Amino acid sequence: MIDRTEGFFRMRTLQLIVLIIFAVIIGRVAFIQFFNADYKRGAARNVMRVDVQYPPRGEIFDRRGAYLAQSRECYDLMVVYRDMDKAGFDTMRLCQILNMQPRRLKQRLDDARAYPRAPQRVANYVSKEEKLRLDAEGLRGFYTVSRTVRHYPLHVGGNLLGHLSEVSAGYLERHPEYSKGDYAGIGGLESAYEEDLRGKKGVKIMERDPRGAIKGSYMDGMFDSLPEPGRYLTSTIDARLQRLGEELMEGKVGAAVAIEPSTGEILMMVSSPTFDPEELVGRERGNNYIRHMNNKRNPMFNRAVKGKYPPGSTFKLVQGLIGLQEGVLKPSDLHPCHGGYKIGRGVACHAHASPADLRFAIATSCNAYFCYVFRDIIDNPKYGSVKKGYEVWYDYVKSFGFGRQLGSDFLDENRGYVPTREYYDRVYRNSWNSLTVLSLSIGQGELGCSALQMANLGAIIVNRGYYYIPHIVKAVEGRDSLDRRFYEKQYTKVDPKYFEPVVEGMWQGVNVAGTSTQARLEGYDVCGKTGTAQNPRGKDHSTFLSFAPKDNPKIAISVYVENGGFGASVALPIASLLEELYLTDTIRRPELLKRIKEMKIYYPAYDK
Amino acid sequence: MTSNRSGSLFGGVDRGTVLLYALIVIAGWISIAAATYDETVSHIFSFAHFYMKQMVWISVAVVVAITVLLIDDRYYHMWAYPAYILGLLLLLSTLVIGKEINGAKAWISFGSFNVQPVEFAKIATALATARLMSEYTFSIARIGDLVKVGMLLAVPLLIIILQNDTGSGLVLGSFLFVLYREGLNKWLCIPILLMASLFIASFLLSPMALLLLLIGLCTFSEVMVSGQVRTRIIFVALMLLLAMVLMILTSLLFETGLSFYVSLLIVSLISAVGLAIYSLRFNLAHMFMTLIFFCGSVVFLLSVDQAFNALEPHQQKRILSFMGIVNDPAGADYNVNQAKIAIGSGGLFGKGFLQGTQIKYGFVPERHTDFIFCTVGEEWGFLGTLTILSLFAALILRLMRMGERQEEPFGRIYCYCVASILLFHVLVNVGMTVGLMPVMGIPLPFMSYGGSSLIAFTILLFIAIRLDASTRHFALNKI
Repeated sequence: MIDRTEGFFRMRTLQLIVLIIFAVIIGRVAFIQFFNADYKRGAARNVMRVDVQYPPRGEIFDRRGAYLAQSRECYDLMVVYRDMDKAGFDTMRLCQILNMQPRRLKQRLDDARAYPRAPQRVANYVSKEEKLRLDAEGLRGFYTVSRTVRHYPLHVGGNLLGHLSEVSAGYLERHPEYSKGDYAGIGGLESAYEEDLRGKKGVKIMERDPRGAIKGSYMDGMFDSLPEPGRYLTSTIDARLQRLGEELMEGKVGAAVAIEPSTGEILMMVSSPTFDPEELVGRERGNNYIRHMNNKRNPMFNRAVKGKYPPGSTFKLVQGLIGLQEGVLKPSDLHPCHGGYKIGRGVACHAHASPADLRFAIATSCNAYFCYVFRDIIDNPKYGSVKKGYEVWYDYVKSFGFGRQLGSDFLDENRGYVPTREYYDRVYRNSWNSLTVLSLSIGQGELGCSALQMANLGAIIVNRGYYYIPHIVKAVEGRDSLDRRFYEKQYTKVDPKYFEPVVEGMWQGVNVAGTSTQARLEGYDVCGKTGTAQNPRGKDHSTFLSFAPKDNPKIAISVYVENGGFGASVALPIASLLEELYLTDTIRRPELLKRIKEMKIYYPAYDK
Repeated sequence: MTSNRSGSLFGGVDRGTVLLYALIVIAGWISIAAATYDETVSHIFSFAHFYMKQMVWISVAVVVAITVLLIDDRYYHMWAYPAYILGLLLLLSTLVIGKEINGAKAWISFGSFNVQPVEFAKIATALATARLMSEYTFSIARIGDLVKVGMLLAVPLLIIILQNDTGSGLVLGSFLFVLYREGLNKWLCIPILLMASLFIASFLLSPMALLLLLIGLCTFSEVMVSGQVRTRIIFVALMLLLAMVLMILTSLLFETGLSFYVSLLIVSLISAVGLAIYSLRFNLAHMFMTLIFFCGSVVFLLSVDQAFNALEPHQQKRILSFMGIVNDPAGADYNVNQAKIAIGSGGLFGKGFLQGTQIKYGFVPERHTDFIFCTVGEEWGFLGTLTILSLFAALILRLMRMGERQEEPFGRIYCYCVASILLFHVLVNVGMTVGLMPVMGIPLPFMSYGGSSLIAFTILLFIAIRLDASTRHFALNKI
């Protein structure tokens, strides 16, 4: 036994111990309950399943309201690996429903195992019927998410529209607002107007139990949001023209672009060979994509804006205009031509009447005439040296939209190429003159331009000196106007008064005598200029630049067919048929149509 | 012995204790209802609900409590040893006819419901301990008597260990609390307590954290006595610096240098030797004691660590499960983490009755039995947990006060036994849900679902109330 004081002391000690123990526990509970937010986050992670609600992508119409691209319902099949009934579920049955290879399914499930709690996609492009069958099956851990998928009722405009692709790791890094499994537009309209088309994702937060079964909406849907559909676009494209253009260009490699000169709206943009955009949708997408990538003719390359072609004789128009503005040329000036320009290395020409004035030289596409004009421009004594003269010429050419981006709504527009003075200084070690670069006078040499730039040249000439920046979208839903740059007249450095003789020359070439007479359409005052561009790899390229009617123009068109030979042989009939359809709504030359459609050109460079 | 009551039936019953008991039982019942409410069972009074079953158990417990109060207090003294023998026989019988649940062969099955004899053995052991220690000839200072008490506790403990239910058995270790109150030499108590807490800490903390904790603790206690803050802080800082230098030097000289932990260990032990000489020279007893404590702790921890690591993994597993620590570390981590998440997500005010998601959907294991405290935490928040813990603290302190006012040592010792059993259960059960204790499968008294646990704790508590009632009645009559 112990005495009372000792007992009292020990009782107090024990009371203290009890209090300390409870204080420690309460302190620990307090720490967990309000000094450490990890546990609250943990609870949310445990119980929440965040279902992303995908918005339908904005649809794309042509200028007359026909669907170019639609959004159609489809589903993604998702799995939460942890919740899957690993033993009791029938792999073969799932493969059967989805028409999927078992090997592929197994691989997807193995991938999902790495993140057992996160929803992982097993299959995409699941159709409505497949979804209903899957729902009936009631597989644990699997569920479907509604998405939309592109559908192209007219099957035209592969490169023009671009396509949709699941975002890559690199894309995600550059665009943090996307997440894995999202689609984004690649190329064409889809990428240029991605922000308008994509809409806004919604979210629905569900509560689940540890086995993954959904118990209801989290916090009565307080944090849920509805998806906002993407905006629809009205394109400037005329679907009929686009389809005819693609049909006419089939079997040929090249590009064709039509512009409405009074607005700069692109009516048609064909890059050939092309592909059916529908092929890049659905489960065959991967195979088709690889097939197109392996095609030597490169159908996924948009030649209309990215191609770089020598402009050839069509460039003579620019030459003549610069000469007139510089005062070194008057429309009535005569220059002799007997089989070509004979000074220096010289330039050959075909047989025609001589001497020629400007109008006739354009109509008959005389090479020698423009060699004189070109040399007069850059050898002009008022600039003191050829190099100064060349710089003046270079600035003029740039003002016509060559050698730079036009600023259209295509993101991947090619600049083309106009050599700078510094380039020649480097190549020729400072010793060069107008004769050295004479091939520029007829649109050969280092010059490179796209079909879009050529069509824009047509618009400049028929507008007598200005253009609107070419664009492919007429209206975006919910926006009053486009970017203001599309409404501003862009003037060249050549005064509008000098354009008339050039237009007349082009009119003569079609309607009186010259290289383009086949392009005549009664009552529509078609004007045109052929081009036959030499190139180091095989036959000459065939090109044609045209617009109609001469006054109050409706359409400017440029066609470029690689290795097509004379401008008049392939490019001209294609352009003419397109103009006929656009201006008259019918085609009265069925034989020509048939012949051109069936024409196939042999391409040794591509088809090796 | 005091006489039986002559007045009213429940005269002298401590109303406060009964009220605390009732509040805790009701809180437990609400928590069970929240944890297990099943919307798919349409009838809310259906006996498919756990809360309806628990309601039946609570009614039984009330009847049992009244019965306990009606029995003359002399009988408890008289029946202490027979009850103890009966308890041992019951425990032994589980080894033969017992049913295995959760790896412990600790249950006897009566048709559809199971009884855990260990719950009742606790009462018997408490009674027997009280009886033995209250004998007139008993002296705790005598080794022979101490051995007797040890034997009394060791026999049931051994059987419980054989049942593979060590967690429940360790409750008997909490009787140290009682022994201390009854005058056990404190130099025997302190090392045992220290070893126990170090042992538990070695499972919860890394060796580095433990070492730093020890250094901090020793420095703090030394400073409290000597009052020299600055020199001690400089000393500790120097030690840390030296350890760092040692680590860098060895890593420069040898390919695999010493880790910071090892360097610090070496530096601190060497400096301990130096300090020991210093303290002997200047006769600084407290410093010497602190050093002994420090060195003893380090040696103990190292040897536990060494012994444990020397074992094969399956042996380690067996030892952990022998200790009652759930032997699947990954699984236990997951469960404890889920329990902490549930409690932590409650915040200050909780999510409200039936609004919790973690419990309701079943993220927490054993949500209505061992982890019932999580429901309180999630649905009633810190206010709820604080209330429950306060109720338990009040009950335990009240039991101790009841013990202190007993005329007879028997009553006092018994009250302390009950208090220590409750304290151990609350500490271990709540401790494991908040990550302070390793996971051992023992229930939260009066709250966890289960008839055998509720009734056993009720009997345990009401015997104490009954003993106290007689004392007070007697005291009141005297005036």
